[in-house]
Amino acid sequence: MAKVCLKNIRKVYDKGIVAVDDFNLEINDKEFVVLVGPSGCGKSTTLRMIAGLEEISGGELYIGEKLVNSVAPKDRDIAMVFQNYALYPHMTVYENMAFALKLRKQKKAEIDKKVREAAEILNITDLLQRKPKALSGGQRQRVAIGRAIVRNPQVFLMDEPLSNLDAKLRNMMRAEIIKLRQRINTTFVYVTHDQIEAMTLGDRIVIMKDGIIQQIGTPQEVFESPANIFVAGFIGSPQMNFFDARLECSGGFYEVLIGNTAIRLAESIQKKLKEKGQEPKNIIVGIRPEHILMAKKDEPGALPAEVDVSEMMGSEIYLHAKVARKDCVVRISTSNIAIESNEWFASGSRIDLVFSSQHMHLFDAESEKNLLT
Amino acid sequence: MKKKYGIGKYILTVVLLILFIVPFYLMVINSFKTTQQFVDSPFSLPNGIDFKNYVDAFKKMNFMGAFTNSLIIMVVSVILIIFSSSMAAYFLVRHKWKINKIIFAILVASMIVPFQAVMIPLVSIYGNLDLMNSKWVLMFMYMGFGQAFAIFIFHGFIKNIPLEMEEAALIDGCNKMQSFFRIVFPLLKPVIITVLILDVLWIWNDYLLPSLVLLSPAERTLPLSTYNFFNSYSVDFAPLMAGIVLTILPVLIVYLFCQKHIVKGVVQGAIK
Repeated sequence: MAKVCLKNIRKVYDKGIVAVDDFNLEINDKEFVVLVGPSGCGKSTTLRMIAGLEEISGGELYIGEKLVNSVAPKDRDIAMVFQNYALYPHMTVYENMAFALKLRKQKKAEIDKKVREAAEILNITDLLQRKPKALSGGQRQRVAIGRAIVRNPQVFLMDEPLSNLDAKLRNMMRAEIIKLRQRINTTFVYVTHDQIEAMTLGDRIVIMKDGIIQQIGTPQEVFESPANIFVAGFIGSPQMNFFDARLECSGGFYEVLIGNTAIRLAESIQKKLKEKGQEPKNIIVGIRPEHILMAKKDEPGALPAEVDVSEMMGSEIYLHAKVARKDCVVRISTSNIAIESNEWFASGSRIDLVFSSQHMHLFDAESEKNLLT
Repeated sequence: MKKKYGIGKYILTVVLLILFIVPFYLMVINSFKTTQQFVDSPFSLPNGIDFKNYVDAFKKMNFMGAFTNSLIIMVVSVILIIFSSSMAAYFLVRHKWKINKIIFAILVASMIVPFQAVMIPLVSIYGNLDLMNSKWVLMFMYMGFGQAFAIFIFHGFIKNIPLEMEEAALIDGCNKMQSFFRIVFPLLKPVIITVLILDVLWIWNDYLLPSLVLLSPAERTLPLSTYNFFNSYSVDFAPLMAGIVLTILPVLIVYLFCQKHIVKGVVQGAIK
């Protein structure tokens, strides 16, 4: 168990391609940190630098108190679970799990005890004599995790471990990882492109884009106060809706103008903007699908919309509509509406929507940064 | 239609079988005749089973000595080829440098150069260095001549081994050498068997290269020893046939015992 500290970490590949730039992060002891971002954002590269599989071009990496920039992977006391499991096909499950311990010249009885304990935790005891090719995807993933936990490493690294599993198995394994984490209680660094995995597993989430950290925070922080448009769009499903707007201030009150509709901002937002002395300017308004509501008759601030399609998801409906000439998704809980009278869900129907003003996010149109943080 | 095609295939198989088996048949039946009988009627069956030719051939070929030479040369050469070429192929695959691509291209291109084209310079250079007439030099040459094909085969296979497996081994505690020998090398089993079979057959049966390098009779291999039956003005055909049977017998026995593994190895090598 140890903390991991990344100071100004940089990775430059041949031909000057910068994969990771100025990466600063302090991962506390026993903390579960998730690196999340789209493909090519540098999250796996960062993890591989922690593992020692990629050379660090600049900066300092500490595991515990030790600077490990030029320490070989085997001497970093880490374990890693790979996306494609990376099990040794010529070895049985038992041999796969015992391999690292054998290399460390541990006693046979001790190895046996550790392997059986790990197998017990992961419920794979009856698979110990099988070869990897005789296992299902989920079983292979368990073995890969088993191989890592027998080592009792200081840091546990996971590189998209659930990506190769089908949706149902992925949900199951996600719950297993949460349980495992409670049981082995060590430092975890987890890489994924799936924001649901990031939100459900991480104590803190690091959102990356083009090799640069966009935001570090708890799942709630990044969801409620995204640092910029990228984070706002990346976290949350369906993703946040964005509208070009103008921030105006009249009579000491801030309001946003979307198309021809003026929306008075909530008190909490007014306060923040006043504290900052925010000048009127062009902005981008972000609003999550669940914070758009059906307008009551003649409700002020209502925006006219035209329904494109509606998707019935069971407990909720995703309504795809055009608002102020922009595509927008509205999430409506089916428990709040009478399904029988849902004529306004039909394609082409005209409806009025209101934005929940206390849930609006305001971003600078140029820098794309959140004006409220 | 399907049946007709089946019969055609059957006939073709039988014709091919006969074509392949006739030389063996002639060799075996004539090994039990006298040279005179062989010259008179090479296709007739022998009058009886007489192992005199085998006893003569055994002595004249210095069978045990030649067999030992062949065995040492074959085993050592094949081991050298397999280890050196698998390691070289691994290096070429895992280090995507420009120079490695050029080296690989040169290696592949060298496969089309016939041995006869390099034969004279080879003998000349090694002769000048006074390195002829040694089976160790011959093994070194086999290692060289066997590299291109073996590297080509290993290269294609190693390319398909996920890098993550080696990275997992590095994290588990291996160094580069251990990750090759403990993880990659065992996975090469199907191609190792393929290379092994092809090289064993090539080296065991090779006549030309040993005939250029091994000049003293004590160093001769089995195929070279059959030369002992060629006199200045005549050839002892009947003992020669027995000698050839003795030469191919060891490989044949190995093949019969390992047939299952060999076929499996070749098929696996073909699939992956």
